[in-house]
Amino acid sequence: MTVGQPVERVDGRAKVTGDARYAADRTLPGMLYSYLVMGTIARGRVTSVDTAAARAVPGVVEVFTHENAPRLTSDQHFMPLQGTQIHYNGQIVAITVATTPEQAQEAAELVRVTYAPETPKAVIADALTEVYLPANQEVIVGDPTAGLAAAEVTVTQNYSSPPHHHNPIEPHATVAQWDGDHLTVHETSQGVVNAQRTFASAFAIPQTNVRVLAPYLGGGFGGKSPVWPHSLLNAAIARQLGRPAKMVLTRAQMYSIVSHRAEFRQQVTLGAKRDGTLTALVHLSTQQLSRTSENMYSHSISSRMLYACPNIHTRQQGVRLDVPTSRFMRSPQMASHFGLETALDELSYQLGIDPVELRRRNYTDVNPTTGERFSSRFLLDCYKLGADAFGWSRRNPKPGSTRDGHEFVGWGMATEAHDHNANPSSAMVRMAADGTVLSQTATQDIGTGTYTVFTQVVADALGVPLNQVKVELGDTNFPPAALSAGSGTIASVTGAVNAAALAVRTAVVQLAVSNPASPLHGLPAEQIITQHGYLFSPDRSRRESYRAVMARHGAPVQNTSSMTNARGYSTGAVFVEVRVDPRYGRVRVTRGVGAYDAGRVMNHKTAGSQVIGGFTWGIGNALMEHTVLDRRTARVVNPNLSTYLLAVNADVPDIQAIFVNKPDPVSTALGARGFGETPITGVPAAIGNAIFHATGRRIRDLPFTQDKLL
Amino acid sequence: MIPFDYRLAPDVDGAVAAATGWGGVAFLAGGTNLVDHMKLGVAAPEVLVDISRLPLDAVEELPDGGLRIGATVRNSDLAAHPAVRRDYPVLARALLSGASGQVRNLATTGGNLLQRTRCAYFQDLSTPCNKREPGTGCSAIGGYTRQHAILGASAHCVATHPSDMAVAMAALDAQVTVLGTSGRRVIPLVELHRLPGDEPHRDTVLSPSDLITAVELPPLPEGTRSLYRKVRDRASYAFALVSVAAVLRVEDGVVRDVRIALGGVAHKPWRARRAEDVLRGSPVDGSPADEEVFRRAAEAELAGAAPLAGNGFKVPLARNTVVSALRGLSREER
Ligand SMILES: Cc1cc2nc3c(=O)[nH]c(=O)nc-3n(C[C@H](O)[C@H](O)[C@H](O)COP(=O)(O)OP(=O)(O)OC[C@H]3O[C@@H](n4cnc5c(N)ncnc54)[C@H](O)[C@@H]3O)c2cc1C
Ligand code: SF4
Repeated sequence: MTVGQPVERVDGRAKVTGDARYAADRTLPGMLYSYLVMGTIARGRVTSVDTAAARAVPGVVEVFTHENAPRLTSDQHFMPLQGTQIHYNGQIVAITVATTPEQAQEAAELVRVTYAPETPKAVIADALTEVYLPANQEVIVGDPTAGLAAAEVTVTQNYSSPPHHHNPIEPHATVAQWDGDHLTVHETSQGVVNAQRTFASAFAIPQTNVRVLAPYLGGGFGGKSPVWPHSLLNAAIARQLGRPAKMVLTRAQMYSIVSHRAEFRQQVTLGAKRDGTLTALVHLSTQQLSRTSENMYSHSISSRMLYACPNIHTRQQGVRLDVPTSRFMRSPQMASHFGLETALDELSYQLGIDPVELRRRNYTDVNPTTGERFSSRFLLDCYKLGADAFGWSRRNPKPGSTRDGHEFVGWGMATEAHDHNANPSSAMVRMAADGTVLSQTATQDIGTGTYTVFTQVVADALGVPLNQVKVELGDTNFPPAALSAGSGTIASVTGAVNAAALAVRTAVVQLAVSNPASPLHGLPAEQIITQHGYLFSPDRSRRESYRAVMARHGAPVQNTSSMTNARGYSTGAVFVEVRVDPRYGRVRVTRGVGAYDAGRVMNHKTAGSQVIGGFTWGIGNALMEHTVLDRRTARVVNPNLSTYLLAVNADVPDIQAIFVNKPDPVSTALGARGFGETPITGVPAAIGNAIFHATGRRIRDLPFTQDKLL
Repeated sequence: MIPFDYRLAPDVDGAVAAATGWGGVAFLAGGTNLVDHMKLGVAAPEVLVDISRLPLDAVEELPDGGLRIGATVRNSDLAAHPAVRRDYPVLARALLSGASGQVRNLATTGGNLLQRTRCAYFQDLSTPCNKREPGTGCSAIGGYTRQHAILGASAHCVATHPSDMAVAMAALDAQVTVLGTSGRRVIPLVELHRLPGDEPHRDTVLSPSDLITAVELPPLPEGTRSLYRKVRDRASYAFALVSVAAVLRVEDGVVRDVRIALGGVAHKPWRARRAEDVLRGSPVDGSPADEEVFRRAAEAELAGAAPLAGNGFKVPLARNTVVSALRGLSREER
């Protein structure tokens, strides 16, 4: 069995040696390069675009503006270059196309755009009177008003968090090539099948005419889930100009056209009995929407699913601003989760009940909104395992009680929780005549370890060594499979990979037992053991290698299987220690322990990496990360990694990841649940709670920068 | 891709000659700041004179105990130099607190002094900026000013100088040797950078063909202690919100020599003379009671602070950082 083992990444070598080819690495004969010109106002109209100087640059083939750009529509997104209207700062206002990227960029810098600007609204505070409730964004369970009336203690607090940008290390890139009305796109995509559908509908061609490839991704975090308008425009340009075209976004461009996490404000009200049991949970939130979309992505699912509370009210309001449309960003539920988990900490102090104990008292096996029983839930184990590893029982609950030199030391915790997707998926497994195995499926490895885990799954199902298995992903020529988003890859696709591999095993075993030339001839197929690349008789006295069976058969054995899986909910508990130096308002996170119930752990290394990555991101989210908009222009002030601060190594302590590791009985993914988005959700609240424990100061506005703690 | 001329400077005099007579010229040292600005369109020199291979890469110990640092000595090499580590810990710490290992391996002494502000509007060609385009206005005023000045700013520009190294050198009374068309001159480091006034496009008193050849540090008397304390938004790889370089010599319980410079608060490394005046001659015994005089000194300096809408926190932060730096130096155990 290799599933569960901390198997090294099978694609690691290709990545560190540069063998792995990313979308931007594709260079095709005769290829043109497109470069975007971004608008500099947030609201108003384009009055003129002067392209003369740009067109004069040697190598420039065409300059597209709203006047001559290919006409395109999108049912998902506002499509730029179709008119003069400007809806956000950094909107695409022209595209230059040239024979080298340098020429295209130079030309882009020479395009002169004039505008009739209007005053934009940049932040929620600019439009408080325009907050509204879009359709289907309110859920009421039980009687929250009566629940609050029955409460012996209540907490009501407001919390807020800034916009964030995904910032994957690999910038978005797209390479389009047409052959008649057949389109091939190398795309930084978290979902090649979805992308195929989007391209096909944009160009009104059959889906089978479109091939999308994304074998490797340098992170996505949700920002690469949709096909964005720039990719459609690039493909349209390639078609119109009759040559392949490549477009690679700059880091700064990624701050306006590939979405973000919305600015978020929330009010959480908790009503409880003296013993800590919740009588009501009211969660009102407001998130920024855009002029062209009222879709919401920061959901209050934690408030609806996590704790036993008979009376729940969540109301997800929005406000339209002159900013780009937001979208899912890793762990979209974390924005509202921060409010809930901080409010619980505040409640714990009001009640004088330990924060872990308060959560234990409100534990539930049943989804409080639907009344359905969770298929498996080991959250109580997580509290226990995490608290023990951290040494939580030694905590003196009194805020400000521990000092070390100039620093105040604090311990805080929070529950971590996120639900996950599961989408129907299919996969192919083929054993070649030489006994080697290939598996193909049109899902993706966005850096999380899909290649490695599927290699393990196939190897285990067949009983062959890992190095006999090759997995290929990210190509619509493969059997259709899930989008790599919503923590859904492993949960969605593992079952199909496993089923296809088992079917191949069955077929090969049949070849052996039915052939008189095999030492296994005549044995009942179901008694055959497969291991180490061999087929054994039950008593292991007889054996034959897969290689030998296949050589005799002389042809590949192949199966394509499909599988569905249930959505799920993975939870855990995170514990942190912080040190606060009040002279500078500086917070250091000095210890971190997380314990998780993710169903069965497929690979302790890749799952552990999700914890380390999530925790690291959570530190950044808590202490520094935020997109700054200039309120006058609704323009991002810090569109680069020098000023958009993320945690660096020196900010991150050793992080201990613990897994309960009990298979979820309903999961067709060998008992695994989706997990990627769980281990980050509680970190900002845990850090804020630890700061309160250290100093007695409660900061309710993220991030907890030094100015707020001086 | 804006075309420019590239010249490899043959020697020190040739570098100055090559840079003379052009409208837009820049010396290329490590390139970690200049090349970024060329990519962003903030700088568009007609000619680049590459000085990175000039023989200005030595650190020499001078007969009087001081140190001469060549203009192209890399920040990493300078920070690791035994004489710097031994005699000028404030400088070693300042260097190591700046940028990242990779950037420091390229960055030079001269380039570090002349790096330009990190004001976000200065780097965004779509926004008005008096420093980039004189007369267009200052976008920072009324905008995002977390990184901006609290001391010595003007209505035309509120930018800060971002260097850590320069702050340490300001406290060390460094002297900058400059070679220009009319020969060699020596400028005290604290007079190299300007306050913005109504000419914020001029960061320093140098003209474009002036080449920095060296920085000299005078010796520090026996018993002098120094340190650098930097406060920033993350533990590493971020510019200072506030930094303090402090040099202190206490004899017989009395402050004999004190030099303090602040970073992240002004258009230049800010030498805190008023604070020094309060401290010089004051009794100090290493006990917590010292904090009182340290605080008074810091407050004397910061009395003139004029914070902006987004950076009022820098005043208490600077005060506390000065106090803690001086405490660090005055306490025996540190
Ligand atoms: C991501 C990042 C983070 C950073 N963080 C920090 C930080 O925390 N603290 C900090 O202090 N710095 C930081 N820096 C800035 C870094 O220290 C400077 O970029 C570097 O010191 C500049 O040196 P250079 O040799 O590369 O200069 P160059 O880029 O080559 O030159 C800079 C300027 O100086 C001029 N010049 C160079 N040498 C001479 C000379 N001898 N005579 C006359 N003119 C000259 C050039 O013409 C140019 O105008 C950071 C930089 C980056 C990219
Ligand atoms: S502070 Fe100075 S550098 Fe920044 S925008 Fe204003 S003038 Fe330009």
